[in-house]
Amino acid sequence: MATTACFMIVSRNDIPIYEAEVGTAPKKEDAAHQHQFILHAALDIVQDLAWTTSAMFLKAIDRFNDLAVSVYFIHTRLMLLHDSRNDDGIKTFFQEVHELYIKILLNPLYLPGSRITSSQFDTKVRALARKYL
Amino acid sequence: MAMADQANTPLGRMLLDEITPAVAKERLKQVITFAGENDVSDLYSDPPPIESVLTTSQSECLPSWFRYFNKELVRTVSFSEHEAFDHPVASLVVVSSKDEEPINKFVDLFNTNQLPSLLNDGAMDPKILKHFLLVHDNLDGTPEKALKVLADMRSTFGLNACRLLCLNSFQDGLADHQENLWAPYKSDASPGQRLGCFLSMEDLDELTDIMQDLSSKQIIPHMEQKIRVLNQQVSATRKGFRNQIKNLWWRKGKDDTPENNNGPMYTFSSIESQIRVLGDYAFMLRDYELALSNYRLLSTDYKLDKAWKRYAGVQLLLLWRNQCSVGNRAFINTGKDLMGLCFFDDLEYWEMMGLTYFMLDQSRKDAEYSMENAFTTYLRMGSSGQRNATRCGLWWVEMLKSRDQYKEAASVYCRISGEDPLHSAVMLEQASYCYLLAKPPMLRKYGFHLILSGDLYKKCDQTKHAIRTYRGALSVFKRTTWNRIRDHLHFHIGKWYAFLGMSDVAIKYMLEVLDCSYQSKATQELFLRDFIHIVQKTGKTFEVFRLQLPIVNISSLKIVFEDHRTFASPAAECILTDLLKIQVNVRESLWRSLEEDMIPSLSTTRNNWLDSQPKLMEKKYKESNVCVAGEAIKVDIGFKNPLQVSVTISNVSLICQHSATADEMEPDANSSSSENQNDEVLRKLVSSRELNSDTSSFTLSEVDISLGGGETIVVHARVLDRQLVGKHHLEPAGAVYRVQLRRIVLHVFVFTLPLRVRLGDALEEEEPDLRPADRSPASRSEATLLPCLPQSADPQSRGRESHADADATPAAAAQLTVTPRVEGVLNIVGVMWKLSGSLVGFHSLEPNVTRKKVAKGNRKLKHSKSSNLKFLVIKSLPKLDGVLHHLPKTVYVGDIRRLSLELNNPSEIAVERLKMKISHPRFLNVGNPEDINIVFPACLEKKDSSARSNVKVGTKKILDTVFLFPEDATIHGGTPFVWPLWLRAAAPGHISLYITLYYEMGDLSAVMRYRTLRMHYILEVLPSLDVSFHISTCPSKMEEFRLRMDVANRTKSDSFKVLQLSSVRKEWGISLLQPIETNFPLESLSAGQALSCFFKLKNDRTLAPAEEKVPVLSNVQGTDVRLGSDTSEPVLDTWSSPLIDFHHYERVHQPTDQKKIVPSCCLIFMVVLNSFMHDQRYQDTVDFVLISRRQGDDSSPNSHNIFSHHACHCEITSSSPISWLVDGPRMVHHNFSGSFCEINLRMAIHNSSDSVVSIHINTLDSTPATLSPSGNEAGWHDISLLNDNIKVTSDVLGGGVQKSVSSGSLSPFIWSGSSSTRVKLDAMSTTEVPLLLCVFSPGTYDLSNYVLHWSLLSVNEHGDSGAGSRQSSGTCQGHPFYITVLQQD
Repeated sequence: MATTACFMIVSRNDIPIYEAEVGTAPKKEDAAHQHQFILHAALDIVQDLAWTTSAMFLKAIDRFNDLAVSVYFIHTRLMLLHDSRNDDGIKTFFQEVHELYIKILLNPLYLPGSRITSSQFDTKVRALARKYL
Repeated sequence: MAMADQANTPLGRMLLDEITPAVAKERLKQVITFAGENDVSDLYSDPPPIESVLTTSQSECLPSWFRYFNKELVRTVSFSEHEAFDHPVASLVVVSSKDEEPINKFVDLFNTNQLPSLLNDGAMDPKILKHFLLVHDNLDGTPEKALKVLADMRSTFGLNACRLLCLNSFQDGLADHQENLWAPYKSDASPGQRLGCFLSMEDLDELTDIMQDLSSKQIIPHMEQKIRVLNQQVSATRKGFRNQIKNLWWRKGKDDTPENNNGPMYTFSSIESQIRVLGDYAFMLRDYELALSNYRLLSTDYKLDKAWKRYAGVQLLLLWRNQCSVGNRAFINTGKDLMGLCFFDDLEYWEMMGLTYFMLDQSRKDAEYSMENAFTTYLRMGSSGQRNATRCGLWWVEMLKSRDQYKEAASVYCRISGEDPLHSAVMLEQASYCYLLAKPPMLRKYGFHLILSGDLYKKCDQTKHAIRTYRGALSVFKRTTWNRIRDHLHFHIGKWYAFLGMSDVAIKYMLEVLDCSYQSKATQELFLRDFIHIVQKTGKTFEVFRLQLPIVNISSLKIVFEDHRTFASPAAECILTDLLKIQVNVRESLWRSLEEDMIPSLSTTRNNWLDSQPKLMEKKYKESNVCVAGEAIKVDIGFKNPLQVSVTISNVSLICQHSATADEMEPDANSSSSENQNDEVLRKLVSSRELNSDTSSFTLSEVDISLGGGETIVVHARVLDRQLVGKHHLEPAGAVYRVQLRRIVLHVFVFTLPLRVRLGDALEEEEPDLRPADRSPASRSEATLLPCLPQSADPQSRGRESHADADATPAAAAQLTVTPRVEGVLNIVGVMWKLSGSLVGFHSLEPNVTRKKVAKGNRKLKHSKSSNLKFLVIKSLPKLDGVLHHLPKTVYVGDIRRLSLELNNPSEIAVERLKMKISHPRFLNVGNPEDINIVFPACLEKKDSSARSNVKVGTKKILDTVFLFPEDATIHGGTPFVWPLWLRAAAPGHISLYITLYYEMGDLSAVMRYRTLRMHYILEVLPSLDVSFHISTCPSKMEEFRLRMDVANRTKSDSFKVLQLSSVRKEWGISLLQPIETNFPLESLSAGQALSCFFKLKNDRTLAPAEEKVPVLSNVQGTDVRLGSDTSEPVLDTWSSPLIDFHHYERVHQPTDQKKIVPSCCLIFMVVLNSFMHDQRYQDTVDFVLISRRQGDDSSPNSHNIFSHHACHCEITSSSPISWLVDGPRMVHHNFSGSFCEINLRMAIHNSSDSVVSIHINTLDSTPATLSPSGNEAGWHDISLLNDNIKVTSDVLGGGVQKSVSSGSLSPFIWSGSSSTRVKLDAMSTTEVPLLLCVFSPGTYDLSNYVLHWSLLSVNEHGDSGAGSRQSSGTCQGHPFYITVLQQD
């Protein structure tokens, strides 16, 4: 089954530092900006929720049609737009990406909050998406 | 008359809606379109910043037409059969008195046939209150007739139901009323017509009276009456315990009736309808308790009957009742449209009245429950309930809004939006405003929903609404880093504006999306195509500041101009100024170090020529650059195309500003502190330039380029003399090449520095004038580094070329022409270009001004930066042009060529006192003036000794690093000045040849006294022949050496012919060991072939009698060996001018401390055995020159086809001052049965040093294997010699003897005589020492087990000076000497 999934890391001031279309559905031209719109709008909800919960993983905090937005709070926000219902998989995906992200942060040449350009990170995130989503 | 204008009354519209349901939709659309049209006015303005949106009050930010739209939307669902609110309560029948038959008309008007279907089919009670009104116009006559008709009416319809209304009783006319009574209802009246001008005050009073009577005396009593009746009925049938039981029974029986979609049909007479009507009436008359009880009763009934629509309606009413009962707020005007939003305004009011929170909470819960129920129930009905659901949702939303629950309200709005895209759009837009009003404001949701609604608006062709919503969203996403969102917004707004024909605004938005490198190629193409389409549609040329396509790379800005430094070719130019000041000094420092000792010593800085002109010494002049009128200022600007699609750029040119004095510039420079002002300056300049391009004081050139996807290009803009250059194009490869070179130079420089430090000692000995890169170790590293460097630069160029191929758009860098013609100040302000032929982009070249203002400490930097683009133009001066003729692009190593330097001075003012310096004298040498005319290869041929005078000239010239042209050399008036140069490619790689020429003005009044001409050429040198030499001592002869020469042809295809091997110093004679034919059977070396041949090397000097201290060089003829079999080839003289000069540099260049392989491809081999008399070394280094010729090369007329390869400092293996030779019989027959065999040997020892040597001969009885071969290799034991010895003996003697050898440690032979002999040997003398050997058994023995210790006795000459550099003592291992002793029978 073709799934739609768009993963994003949003740093402070709502600046996206990483984004990847990790779904298996064939790429549509207007999907990219649509996903950005949905994720961006979901930040409003994220902002509200962030102070009300201590959980890191919040599933399906926002919906648009059949797409849901799940969030994993670290000091930045890992956001996933998905249409699958596989909550456990999404949670595991977030945890693994979190580890990858920590590795990126450990890089002394990486300025926190700047865009993640590491191709290795990209490859690994996509591999994780294939595995868990 | 009552139903004449049906569309404008609710009842009339009800009728229409029943007939055509699409009308409602159409009407809503009209409302929206109308609202859209009204909004156009502010489409041009910028969207307000989001901060201001947040602070504006609710009423301001909400479009006013929403309320109207919502009202209309609610109206479309009035008159449904399940509610009694819209059911007619009373009917007013009006007939004019002018009518012929008023009575009949009344009857006709209330004919049941014409009643709406709901009345006729029984959903409504047709027995409604009727009131008959006769209208009489007093203008038509006296009211007598009307009174008569009224009497008839009263008799017909009843006394109370009839009234007469007399109008227009104001006879004189033109009464002036404050408000026009009829105006709202008579829309088609012309403005000049004064409506209602005949109405007197009495008329108005009567109108009011009638309406009050109607409502208070007729309608309300009627309704009260009806409520009483209905209440009685309901109480009788449904209330009370008995009735409920009965009802249950009755319902059970009703269950088997078939159900249709809308549930059971309730006619007005059914008890449920009556309850409903009762409830509604009670509601209207504010008896909420009664209404509530009735609704509760009904809801259970309807639920049981699955009449969902009615159920929902009742739920709705229950909610209302809750609200109203709690609020206890009377409806002021029951005649007013009940469903209007005023109802909710009242609710707000009610809240403000501050009722108890407890009541509030309770009612809220109930209300939401009811609403939710009603809404979902309507939705469950599908499309038929959609409109009701919409209405219900709207009420719900208003309710939530009134309580500040905006977030919930927004979600309800989203739920309202159904299939109809237009409705959805409006609803979504309202939802977005709810998000905006929420506390805290949810801006992102606001933006997102605006976008959603905008898309829907566009889908319904409501472009203006779409733009409005998108612009609203734009204020949210203004500075967002979510690039796709930003692009989507700007692109669509731009497109829609273009759709409306507002191209300028469209272009403004579209410009934002041009830099979209992250988008896919298709998107980029789409953006670009649409954008260009819009631009072209306007047919105008737009001027855009900070156009993002292509990107101007300010950091790559490089400016090259000529002050006292002039450049012969683009390749020679170095950046004299750029904004970052990083790259400036690399190339410039090269040139400066080259010019150091040529230019006058005061001129350490470039502005020092101004010293002679004190009046010009003002500070600002010092800071600005200087250029000469009529000469070009060249600006390199990097353009980068971020897209994957190619774009075309044309008319690239600089924007310059010229003023006669420096003071005029100042205000402009200061005013450009803000970006906008800067733009204005640019615009002004551009427009002024277009006006007077012919009369301006400078001329600019234009370039057309095309940028492939992802390509970066450097455009060379030039300020130039128009006549000289015009418009010409550089090869694309040329541009890249220059980049490569810059890199190479940079790299080499970096790499040479550490080498220089490490090899500092070696450098000390060499000529101090050479630049670091030219010093021998550094240059060697250059030679190895260079071949790999172009590869690193290559992918760029290769990728670029392939791009150009794919797009079929060859990229070109071109040059622009502008000349500062007049003295003054020239300021380069910016650059402009034309994109796709219709869009002009500007870019200011001023560095970022705003940044400078921030930091206080940057003031100094600011000064230098701003002055970089400012030029002081001075009077025109003579300027030399220099060309190096015949310089090949590619040569093989060793190729010797004659070049000619041609200098031209177009001006009439003469230049004089020329000096020249060359960066690589190893490659390029200055010739003599007469060299121009000689026949080159022939002049090298060996002549008599009379030609030796050349040598002195040559050596003298070499020592001068600065070449001074003759005093009388002046150049002027276009007469070319030609001077010969010699080129010899010394080492493979890319070689940058820098030539700098100094000249002074003949005209002393000139502002500049001198100038320099810098020429730069690139030479690619390919490896040709690799030549290496190996010298070993000849064991059999003293002072004779074997020379092995290995030649390998490293070329790809060419074959070489080796002609001659020579030595420069004549002490060493070379001769062939074998005849030529055996050495060179093929005559030539083809590609990849290698060759080894052996020579005999003999030191002539030592063989000469000792008294001949100074050898006569010319007498010795053995220094040249002809290697080719072709005797017609002349033997070349290695002492003649270019060869010996080059050899000198080779000697300096090649390191002396190691043996090495010289890459060379010479045809003549000159073996130069170097043994200078004054040299501190022993005569152990040899210089060879190999001369060769390339085969079958007649193509190039300038090639003389002479290659020379120089191998210097080839060391002879022996490093000791002594040489010796053991002489004696090789074969001895002896009868060992008698005694041991004694053999006499002689050792001849020669001292080749020039001091006395003490020699100590140590013979060893043990085998030599126990000795270390040399002092340096401690710990190494070579035992092979012993084994060999044993083997040999055993072979000869058989088993018996072998035993004796192996059994004891005793050697089979011993040295007899003194085991240690000490000899003192004078300089350059030979002596003989006798040796005696005792052999005990037959066999072949190696007599190498002796050691010669030598030590210098530093007596008189050279002793102190050379002590440091040479060894004073040493040990030599004996040479192998084999002697065979045989048993004599």
